[in-house]
Amino acid sequence: MHRRRQGIGGWIATVLLTLYCLIALVLIGNMILSSVKTKQDLLFNTFGLPHQISLENFRQILVKDALFRNFLNSIILTMCSILSLVFVSSMTAYGLARYRFKGRNALEFYFLLGLMFPIQIAILPLFIIMRTLSLTNTFLGMVLLYTANMSFSLFIFNQFFKELPSALHESAIIDGAGEFAIYWRIMMPISKPVLFTVMTVSFVQIWNDFYLPLVFLTKRSLHTLTLAIYQYLANFLAYWNFVFAAATLALIPVIVVFLVFSDQIISGLAAGSIKE
Amino acid sequence: MTKSKAYIGFITPGFILYSLFMIVPLGFAIYYSFFNWSGMGAMDFIGLDNFRRIFFDERMGRIFRNALGNNFRYMAIAVCIFIPIQIAMAYLIHLRIRGHNFFRLMIFLPYVISPSIIGFFALLVFDPHIGMLNTLFLTLGLPQLVNAWFGNPDIAFFVLVGVIGWNGIGVGMVIILANMKNIPDDVVEASIIDGASVWQRFWHIELPFLKPSIVNVVVLSSIFALTQFDIPFIVGGLNGGIDGKLDFLNLMFFRYTFGDAYFGETALGFGAAISVVSFSIILCIALLQKLVFNRLFDR
Repeated sequence: MHRRRQGIGGWIATVLLTLYCLIALVLIGNMILSSVKTKQDLLFNTFGLPHQISLENFRQILVKDALFRNFLNSIILTMCSILSLVFVSSMTAYGLARYRFKGRNALEFYFLLGLMFPIQIAILPLFIIMRTLSLTNTFLGMVLLYTANMSFSLFIFNQFFKELPSALHESAIIDGAGEFAIYWRIMMPISKPVLFTVMTVSFVQIWNDFYLPLVFLTKRSLHTLTLAIYQYLANFLAYWNFVFAAATLALIPVIVVFLVFSDQIISGLAAGSIKE
Repeated sequence: MTKSKAYIGFITPGFILYSLFMIVPLGFAIYYSFFNWSGMGAMDFIGLDNFRRIFFDERMGRIFRNALGNNFRYMAIAVCIFIPIQIAMAYLIHLRIRGHNFFRLMIFLPYVISPSIIGFFALLVFDPHIGMLNTLFLTLGLPQLVNAWFGNPDIAFFVLVGVIGWNGIGVGMVIILANMKNIPDDVVEASIIDGASVWQRFWHIELPFLKPSIVNVVVLSSIFALTQFDIPFIVGGLNGGIDGKLDFLNLMFFRYTFGDAYFGETALGFGAAISVVSFSIILCIALLQKLVFNRLFDR
């Protein structure tokens, strides 16, 4: 249906979009190149190609500055949070989508309120609750928070479970499977596509999250990579060769996940917000 | 669907977590906002005094109006400028112009970059001394274009808005793009046969199909605008940048709630009042937009 032929307008649009996309390419490319430059090279050859590839910046930040710790923190926190989020939100969505009971619609609406109010809005009472439960400065507390912030993934799972034929459930019951076994052994395996969507979108969001770690992880040894980079930025001019290396380290996992799963991330985000 | 009590077991863990950490805090925020409380020790009931301070206290009122004004200005730019750009980008990709897959990927890409790194990029580009932009202008022999950017109160806000927009523009675009796939082919083909120009086809035939996604992007962008924090905080600092040009409601809230190290006092009650005001505004704006759009579109 679409025209392959491009008019003059099409060419102008292509050029404009190309220029726009160059911004990201230049910034990311420059960051990666700069991360392997020596400090001298960076100072006198700021935007050029590196004269020699040096991993000194990485060694310095990972070993001497213990950024490795922050990297591990980010990995552990993100992985645990995703697993917990996927498990709890899919289970809740399953309960909402596959069972008939009084107040089901109201409960579904209740669970989707979180799409409208970002968790930051009530951060202060949240902080007090977390402090009362001794969950500030703990990964457990963070995992619970990321799990509680489940409206988006719950919505995605809910849509999926609702569309499954009910015969699936009935035949499983006839086979004598328990309710949890049906969810775990039958429903979860067939929900793989949405599972990936939820996991990748959450990965990007949790890995990059700035606000919750800023508020709840004040101990330096618990800082995530995002926070560590923020700390470096405070002394930007003194350490900018390190910031390049740290930023490269933080960005590469996300870029890899994005390039591999871009379709899931993009379609997932789009599906999560069209819900008229 | 099944009738069985098993749903209770499935829903309870999620219900408890979600209620405790997402919904209960909203209620508590309202409660705390009536107290003068530092976060420890005695809570002093002072009625609506925190709200009076936000709106009418000379110094606070000015800070509040400035911050809220910035939120609203950002929202206006997001709705009036970013959304048309998002629609245009989505449409070009929908028309499968040359390289559309690449464009879709690259326009979306900044969204996956963490705010700290976005802040770092902003410094790299806009730093007055070593920034790429000023260096570029000097190299091209255009010294009159050299600017202090974030250090220039006249344009700091717009530079920041540009940075935030670059970061997030892809999300709205893909939402609208997904909606474009729902436009029925036969309607579009009929218009092509009838000799409609690209512009007529877009304006009269395709745009009306995009209402649901555009409404959603408007609401989402507005919520996003009213809860701005990360990038302004990283780029402009806790005090809201030069002359408060980069101050936002959430930054003000953070300053008075968690900023004890900087201001020598924590005022949790006052902070709670700020957050109550901000979620009331979000609720009103979101409801208002839904209402207006429903009126406009369901004639």
